[in-house]
Amino acid sequence: MAADAVAARTRLPLPALIGVLVGAAIMLTPLVWTILLSIKANAALVGNSSAALSPPWTLQNYAAIFGNGQTMRWLVNSLIVSTGTTIGVLILTSLAGYGFARLDFPGRRPLFLFVLMGLAIPGQAVILSQHQLFAWANLHNSYPGLILPGLTTSFGVFFMTQYMRAIPRELDEAALLDGASHWRIFTRIILPLTRPAQSTLAVFTFLGSWNDYWWPLISATRSEMYTLTVGLAAAQMNYAQTSGLGYLMAQAVFASLPIFIVYLIFQKQIIAAMAGTALK
Amino acid sequence: MRRALVLGAALALGSCSPGERGQGLYIQRFFGECTSDYGTATDVAKAEGECGIITTLINAFERAHPEARVSQNVVAWPGYSQLTAQMAARQPPDLVTMHSGVIPDYAGKGLLEPVEPYLAAAGLSPGIFTPAARQGVTWKGRMYGLPWDTHGGLWHINLGLFRKAGLVGADGNPILPRSPEELLSQGRQFRERTGKPYLIQSLVGDPAGAARILYTYMMTQGAPVFSDPKHIRLDTPEGRRVAELFRDVTREGIGTSNMDTPAAIAAFMNGEGGVYPTGTWMIGQFETEEKTRGRPLFQSYSVQPFPQLYGRNLMFVSGHAWVVPKRARTPAERQAIADYFRFMAARNGDWARTGHLPSVQAVIDGRQFLSLPHRRDIAVVARIGRALPDGVLRQNAIEGLVGEEMAAAITGQKPIAKALSDADRRVNEFLDEVQ
Amino acid sequence: MSGTGIRRDPGLAFVGPFLLIYCLVLILPMLHGLWLSLHVIDIWGDGRFAGLANYARLVADPVFGQSLVNTFVVTLMVVPILTVIALALALALNRASRGAAVLRGIFFSSAVLSVTIVTLIWRFILAPDAGLLGEVAKAIGAEPVPFLSSPGLALWALAITTIWWSIGLPMLLFVAGLQQVPADLYEAAALDRASRWRTFVSITLPSLKRTTILVVMLQTAAQLQLFGQAQLLTAGGPSGASRTVVLFMNEVAFGRWELGYAQAAAEVLFVIILGVTLAQYWLTGRAGEGEGGR
Repeated sequence: MAADAVAARTRLPLPALIGVLVGAAIMLTPLVWTILLSIKANAALVGNSSAALSPPWTLQNYAAIFGNGQTMRWLVNSLIVSTGTTIGVLILTSLAGYGFARLDFPGRRPLFLFVLMGLAIPGQAVILSQHQLFAWANLHNSYPGLILPGLTTSFGVFFMTQYMRAIPRELDEAALLDGASHWRIFTRIILPLTRPAQSTLAVFTFLGSWNDYWWPLISATRSEMYTLTVGLAAAQMNYAQTSGLGYLMAQAVFASLPIFIVYLIFQKQIIAAMAGTALK
Repeated sequence: MRRALVLGAALALGSCSPGERGQGLYIQRFFGECTSDYGTATDVAKAEGECGIITTLINAFERAHPEARVSQNVVAWPGYSQLTAQMAARQPPDLVTMHSGVIPDYAGKGLLEPVEPYLAAAGLSPGIFTPAARQGVTWKGRMYGLPWDTHGGLWHINLGLFRKAGLVGADGNPILPRSPEELLSQGRQFRERTGKPYLIQSLVGDPAGAARILYTYMMTQGAPVFSDPKHIRLDTPEGRRVAELFRDVTREGIGTSNMDTPAAIAAFMNGEGGVYPTGTWMIGQFETEEKTRGRPLFQSYSVQPFPQLYGRNLMFVSGHAWVVPKRARTPAERQAIADYFRFMAARNGDWARTGHLPSVQAVIDGRQFLSLPHRRDIAVVARIGRALPDGVLRQNAIEGLVGEEMAAAITGQKPIAKALSDADRRVNEFLDEVQ
Repeated sequence: MSGTGIRRDPGLAFVGPFLLIYCLVLILPMLHGLWLSLHVIDIWGDGRFAGLANYARLVADPVFGQSLVNTFVVTLMVVPILTVIALALALALNRASRGAAVLRGIFFSSAVLSVTIVTLIWRFILAPDAGLLGEVAKAIGAEPVPFLSSPGLALWALAITTIWWSIGLPMLLFVAGLQQVPADLYEAAALDRASRWRTFVSITLPSLKRTTILVVMLQTAAQLQLFGQAQLLTAGGPSGASRTVVLFMNEVAFGRWELGYAQAAAEVLFVIILGVTLAQYWLTGRAGEGEGGR
């Protein structure tokens, strides 16, 4: 992009460079420290967390994570739920985004505001009522039960709508003149152009679903249905911060890896996607 | 289109959920997960710590009673959000660990089964339990759980530092204050001679600790914390006396003021203070320190009940129990629960190695228990321990409110009169609304 | 409308699936919550209709009032600082170099962690005794700052933790926004020998107006709902100095089982966030709504 080329030509002034590097250090230090703690034995860290900075180091905490028979099951549960939620969100919000961005129908504007309203609803405000509803529908301790609440994302619809609005109408209009149905336009023309937005939304949806704690806590109450976040929390003993610190941090690293991998894979798409959203 | 198919498949697959439970005993507990260390081991004598001992105990029960078809569920402490949700969805476990203070809430809503039939089927008479343990599970005259342990506040003491401060008696036992004045003077003496704070207080994020102090010392002055189950009375001369004492302790630097629980534990283990007032649950860990050469607590650890600073010999205690959520059960399932009760009551002594006090009187009086280090000093807690009056509901929530205000009073963030009256107001308003 | 035979767009067919799930799974429970807020009722359903009694009780409840103030204050602490830092980072890292990509990844990495871990890490940094900052302070002979135990500083602890955790998304949004600024504007400025600062103020900032509003809108709504950090880092303390409204709701519903009262608090918060969000939305000049694209 031209703007990019312009930016690349200008050197970053030294104070700015130092500022960025200091910022990066502030970001990285806690993460590096977490990893260091995760490779120390619990006993060595009791009362003295700076022991993490010196050898000996060990992988026993990670072995303990895998030694717990249910960890892999929890990991699979999280993968299924997060992937299912992501796919569901992409489908639903793409459809809705096209509807709001491209089509005119009675009540479009009020409906869009109705959807935006969802941004203002905190999870804790509806969680108990949702719980009752799902109990009545016998959806607890099941994958659909864990996936459905994640599909109600106002941000997703807002995001896709804004992105699709930015796509030039000329493309649609040409196709319409050719007699194409809206479904064809949607699938053949618009969707392929939204790949960057899909990637971005995918990463953020996956992330939100992966780290979700409260809903899986009260909906998937049988340990074989736990997601990874709930399972790891349950596995902690009392005072884990003191006597199980290494293990606690190993859990943290282990639980974060999948998402970080997902982010790395989609990184380039994400930047391209952002370019389409915050337009004009 | 392809994606829609994938989603449809995923949903269809997902509908094959575990669904309804098959028969079998569904046990739910906290205390952590340690299958990587203990797996299916059944050697209870070799197990260490709450998690190790409870895991091996349940494994041993499974081995002894295969017909019970045990499935175990570990939840994050204290697990009440989950339990409440499970009960609301009508999928409660068969046996679940519960704090005695919480029993009235669930029993009062008819969500727990009285356990006398199970005890009878297991051949256990209610009289075998300690008074404190039994009171803990009793509500409106019926017992609602198998008492599992009693736990209360204890002073964990760094003997080496006490010796340095001249506070160890000829018998090798620590000298403890017997009045508020002695607390202050001994505290000052300790600080002068060792340069370290006398009391390591966890006042940040530990409302239970602050509430424990207030409850215990009001009880020892003979002041009823609750005038009736629906009204708390903390803003009294007795209550203010306690708050003032600990505020003075903190203000003079005799007690620390900035620590949360992990910081306090670390400080005590590193020899940074004389006394860490917490509870029975830390005994196991500190014993390990006591046996480890090179650590500050090596051969330098003692543990005593809260010192009796006022008249009576009483203290506030709580306890764990195994409760039975109400649902339809087959005779085989009922038998399994009775078997579980019999099995666990017989092994109550093993659980005592965690530091908690046994609930079975014979175990407390027995040689196996008393020969464990330090237990002789604290066995009395089972006798002098008192819970809050039976009818008080939402004790956990109340403890949170009371502890928050008490901590504010002790640290000086709020004037004592205001803190205590705020606590009274918040609790009473809350209890008024409770259905 | 161009084209023949298309008299009415099948818009409802497209937005229908989402709306169906949205209404069933989110709106229906929300309405139920509203209904609950008119009752003095506990989690098990025991209770009575009470009209606006819960709301009256909220108005008179100093703890709720304190949590409202805390929520506003922490939002004001986080949003401006977060926006400025994110913009600064985006300006610095908006280039195609490998180093910039690596650095962007670093600034995004905190966002993948769960709130449990973030608060665990920051507790270790902020705790006065033996925390990282405490050790640094002692090393230079200063008093460790009691972030977590001082009423005046607890909200700052939450703010700092939140900013560290949330820097990724706004930064990326700004990077994208910057990439949309037409190059000819910059070239014209260069021809005029405009200084860096003037270029920034006259060209970059105005072009970023929509992005900035987007970031501010999303972050404001998010921080008004701040919960996990308050619960896990400070437990809302000391003595409620860092209790936010959502934490209040959680304590009242899950801790005290007072469902009706908690739902009333939820409704109040919802109305506040809705008002703030809508106000910001209108301010953008109806952000492209009704326009067909460029």
